[in-house]
This record gives sequence, C-alpha cells and structure tokens, in this order.
Amino acid sequence: MKTYIIAGIYLCVLGLSAYLYFSGLHGIETSSHNRLLPVEIKAVKAGASEEGIREIVLDANKKGDKISIAGMQHSQGGQTLYPNGILLDMKSYNRIVGFDKKAKTITVQSGATWNDIQHHINPHGLSLKVSQSQNIFTIGGSLSVQAHGLDIRNGGMMDSVVSLRLLNADGDIIELSASEKPELFLAVIGGYGLFGVILDVTLELVDDELYEVSTELFDYRDYNRYFQEQVLGNADTKMHLARISISPEGFMEDMYAINYSLADGQDLLSEYSALKEEKLIAAPKLLLGISRLNGEGKKLFWDSQKTYIRTIDGKLISRNNVMRSDSEFMEYSNAAKTEILQEYFVPVNEFTGYIEKLKILLEQEENFNLLNVTIRYTNQNEKAVLSYAKEDMFSLVLLINQEADAEGIAETGRVVRDMVDLTLDHGGTYYLPYYGYPTQEQMARSYPRTEEFFDLKDRYDPEHRFLNMFYEEYRQ
Amino acid sequence: MNYKKFIQYQGMVGMASTMIFPFYILLLKNAGTSYAQFGWAYGLFALTAAISYPLIGKAGDRIGDKTLLTVYSWGMALMLLFFPLATEIWHVYGLQVVMGLLGAVQKNSEKAVLARYVDKPTAGSQIGNYHTWTSIAAAIAVIGTGYLVDFMTIASIFYIASVAFALSGVLAMKMPTAETAPAFLDK
Repeated sequence: MKTYIIAGIYLCVLGLSAYLYFSGLHGIETSSHNRLLPVEIKAVKAGASEEGIREIVLDANKKGDKISIAGMQHSQGGQTLYPNGILLDMKSYNRIVGFDKKAKTITVQSGATWNDIQHHINPHGLSLKVSQSQNIFTIGGSLSVQAHGLDIRNGGMMDSVVSLRLLNADGDIIELSASEKPELFLAVIGGYGLFGVILDVTLELVDDELYEVSTELFDYRDYNRYFQEQVLGNADTKMHLARISISPEGFMEDMYAINYSLADGQDLLSEYSALKEEKLIAAPKLLLGISRLNGEGKKLFWDSQKTYIRTIDGKLISRNNVMRSDSEFMEYSNAAKTEILQEYFVPVNEFTGYIEKLKILLEQEENFNLLNVTIRYTNQNEKAVLSYAKEDMFSLVLLINQEADAEGIAETGRVVRDMVDLTLDHGGTYYLPYYGYPTQEQMARSYPRTEEFFDLKDRYDPEHRFLNMFYEEYRQ
Repeated sequence: MNYKKFIQYQGMVGMASTMIFPFYILLLKNAGTSYAQFGWAYGLFALTAAISYPLIGKAGDRIGDKTLLTVYSWGMALMLLFFPLATEIWHVYGLQVVMGLLGAVQKNSEKAVLARYVDKPTAGSQIGNYHTWTSIAAAIAVIGTGYLVDFMTIASIFYIASVAFALSGVLAMKMPTAETAPAFLDK
C-alpha cells in the first residue's frame, strides 16, 4: 500500500515536471528573438552533394524558411544565426575537389578548414598565400568575414581567390571571380553569408619557405618607424605581428614584435616542414587566467610573454607552420561566454596619436578588463563592398573579459562605442564580425558603402532567403 | 538483508546515477558561466555531505539502512525531475545541496550495510563480488546512455534516470530486513 502511495505521488510530480519542461520549450520557440537560437538546425551531412544543399535552399523557398549559413561560428554578431530559421552547417562539406601542383591552385569545398588545406599541400612543398592567423576556420567562413592574417606581402584574402561558385536563393549555381560578375563577387567576399551559399573556392598557393624568427621590444612611439624600416623595408620579412602591453606597467606603451623573414639556408626547409600539431597551451592558458584577475596578473602575463619571445628569437620555422599559429592561442582558446573580441583598423600614420588617445580612454575605464591587444598589418584593399582597409592599416585585436549580465553588456557597449568613435576620428574602421555594440551610424561612418551593400543584398536576394541577426541589426 | 537483492538494488542505483553523471556536468556547465561557479556547485555538494554524515550515520543505526536507502531512492527520483527545469545558477546550487545530502545517505548506508552483513573472514571477496556487479551495471548504463543521447535530449535522460531511481525505490521497499535475512551468508 505504502509503495502505491509513494509511486502515485512520484507519478504526479513526474507529470508536472514534464508538463513544465515541455511548456517551457514551447515558450522558447515563440520568444527566440531574444535568445538568438535557431530552432531547427539542418546540418549538411558528411559527403553531401551540392545537389543536397540546393534541395535545402529550394525546400526553404517553398516553405518560406530563412537560412543562416554557419562554419565554425566564431563570429560574435549573430552572423550565423537566425531565429526560427534553418542553420545550414557547412562543416561537413569539406572535400578537396581539385589540386594543381604546377599551377599552384587548390579547389576546396567551403566547409574545409585552412588546416585541411595545409595537410593536403604541405607534402607538395606548397603553402597558403593568405590565411587567417589561426587555421581552425572554414574557407567559406573566412571569406565571408573577409579575414586577414600575418602575411604582409600578399594583399587581402580575396586576392588569393581565383574563383568561387555560389549557390543563390533561386537554386542557381553561379561562377564568380574578380573578372566574372565582379559586382556580386565583391559583395560575397565579406558578405556575411547574405548572398548565398559559397560552394567551393579555388585558391592560389605559394611555395613553402623557411623563415627565421626575429623579435624586438620597443616603445609604441617607435613602432611605425620600426615597422616601415625593419619590417616593410626588409624585403625578406614576410610576416609580422606585434603586441602592446596591457600590464599596469607600461600600459599601452611597451610593445614587442615577432617577425618571420626568409632564412639563409632554404635547403634546410625539409627538416622543418613537418606540420606542428597542437602545442601544450597549459602554461599560457594559466597565465591568461591569472591576468583576468588583476593588474599583478596582467604584469606577470606580459613579463612572461617578453621572456618567451626572447627564447624564440633566431629559431627557424616553415611558412606553413607559422600559418598554424600557436602564438595566437589566447585569441579564442579562452573565449568563454564572458570573453569578447574587438578589432580596429587605423591608418599606419595615425598609429601613435591613436594609441595615445586610446590609452587615456582606457585608463578612465577601471572596470574594463582588457586582456590582450595583438597588432597586425593589412594592405590597402578597397575592392570589397564592405572593406575595412581604406589605406594601409594596423589592425588591433582586443580581447576583453566582460560580465555577461545586462549591466555588463551596457557598460562594455559604452566603452566599445567610445573606442569605435575614437577609431573613426583617426580615419580608421572597425571589424564587423563581433558583437553588435557599435551603432548603425558608426557602421555607416566606418563603411561608406553600407547602404549599397544592403541594397545589393535586396537586389540579389529579394525574398531574403539568406538572413542573419547581423542583417536585422544593421539594415538601415 | 539479502545479498543478491542488495546487489540488484545497488546495481539499479548505480545505473541510474552513472547514467546522468556525464550529462549532469554538462548541465552545470550550461547553467554556470565560470569555472568558479562550477567549483562552487561541486563544493556545496561536498560541504552538505560533510555536514550531514554524522546525522545520517546515527539515523542509520536507529531507523535502519533499508529506510534510508528507500528515502535516498525516492529522493533522487523526485530530485531529478527538477533538473530539466533548472535554468539559473542558483537552481543548480539548490539542487546540489539536496544532491549532497542524498549522496551522503547513499554512501553511508551502502557502507553500513556491507559492514553489518558481510561475513568477516570472506569480507574481501564478498565486497569484491559486490563491486564487480555494481560496476558492470554502471558501465552498461553509461555506455548505453552515450548512444541514447544521439537520439534524445539531455532532459529525457534525466527523466529516464528518475524512473530508474523510482524502480530502485520499489526494490528498496521490497528488500528483506535483518529479521528475515540476518546475514549475506544466508542467501
């Protein structure tokens, strides 16, 4: 009898719990606008054909569904998400479909990562021409955000694209390149997935090379001159990155640079060409963790970086291995919920004055937890409709630790908008893939062709088959 | 207490708890936003257990292990029904406190039963045998659940585990007491 009573009570609570759970689920569906969660996720299965992807698009046309396209989903401004839409996960669409060693080109499906390409071409002594600093991203994703990397000689990412094939909203497959339908091509690169699905891409390759690492410490006031003379002025230097101190000591003043220059004995390349796999990142991860806590931690982190770069000075490394960077481990490996990125581009000649002002701005914001600033160089490239490099620019990537609650978002948003204004005042731009803190006005100021971009979107995809939260936020 | 029945009961309990364990951590990670919160969630679990052990020990001697195991089983069955509903970190903290209490009830009672009923000269092999079967049950549960997750949501795993605990509650209530089966040897 007792058993029945207890079992009876249990069943009642079970029913109540299930009822609450399922009614809660229902609630998410209707209010998913705030939650940024797509309800239905349609993944492209491994080995999926382009016909399969085409069917998903045609089917969405019939049902009136919106499609957001996703690669590794490291963008932070909802570029891969649309509430109640179909999330087209491209990660499994990742085959290498063509490789011409002689012509130095490779054709890959857009879900392939830079790492996938590296594994394919490294045995042939070839290397990527332009890639992102890290190799974990998909080709389709990197092109859609028009990423840039460490290479200072080969122009922007789009310059290494021979051609690509785009599946548009009508289900037609169009071949695009700088000469073939350039208008659409230049909107798709940096187009945030709003014009269709990039199916495959043909990329130019270059020879793998052996580089010698050189490092240098200096004051930010000397950076521009140092860069012009020692880095850009030295034809052998191919890649470069710098960091500026976030430690209370030398805050926004002390800098270091890591350069990669052609080594003397290229015949030694084969000894260094094996691709490095993931390194032990426990130590830097620990230091970054400590740096989140306070100024002392930040000092420790910065000092240990300075010690580290001394140990790599003079080392040899292959181009391919530089492009599977472990020095940028911190950019994403700790990107927990409360860690965001910002990226600002400033004209090379504005750098010193800009940093001075940025320093003053950040010193007033005691609660703003800045963990890292990496500086790279990007050539002028105004071809894309949404292009950020109006002239030769230094780009600053900021890693920020912030509170995830409403107050934290408001607070960080205010500081970010101030920083964007400062950047714009110095003739700079900000990078679009990150959280939607900047205002519509700031986007229009940063990207003078914003209106044209969205008009093109409406012209090429009038039904808005391809949609994401970024569009919703910034369509003006 | 009957040796075989006790193994059946503990096997059932082991299955139910290992089933949720890996996914339980996932839930904690989703609800918490930092490792510090994660640490606190587990810390509260251990602290509650620490505080409650002396009381549970005395209660076991007074009201009997069978009653405590019954309370544990039904307690867990009910508890797990709240997990799918947890969305805030303080929900998780609350659940962790109750889980800590119940976990202590189970741990203490399990050892008390073994201590009370195991035949001392063959205690090693008896306890070894006991652990063999309960571990097999746990292994089956966790491997099987790994496959289940492909087809079900994590919430449904909690519901399934809850039902398993409820069944173990029935088993506990049906278990013979010291009067009917004084020692494991009389199986």
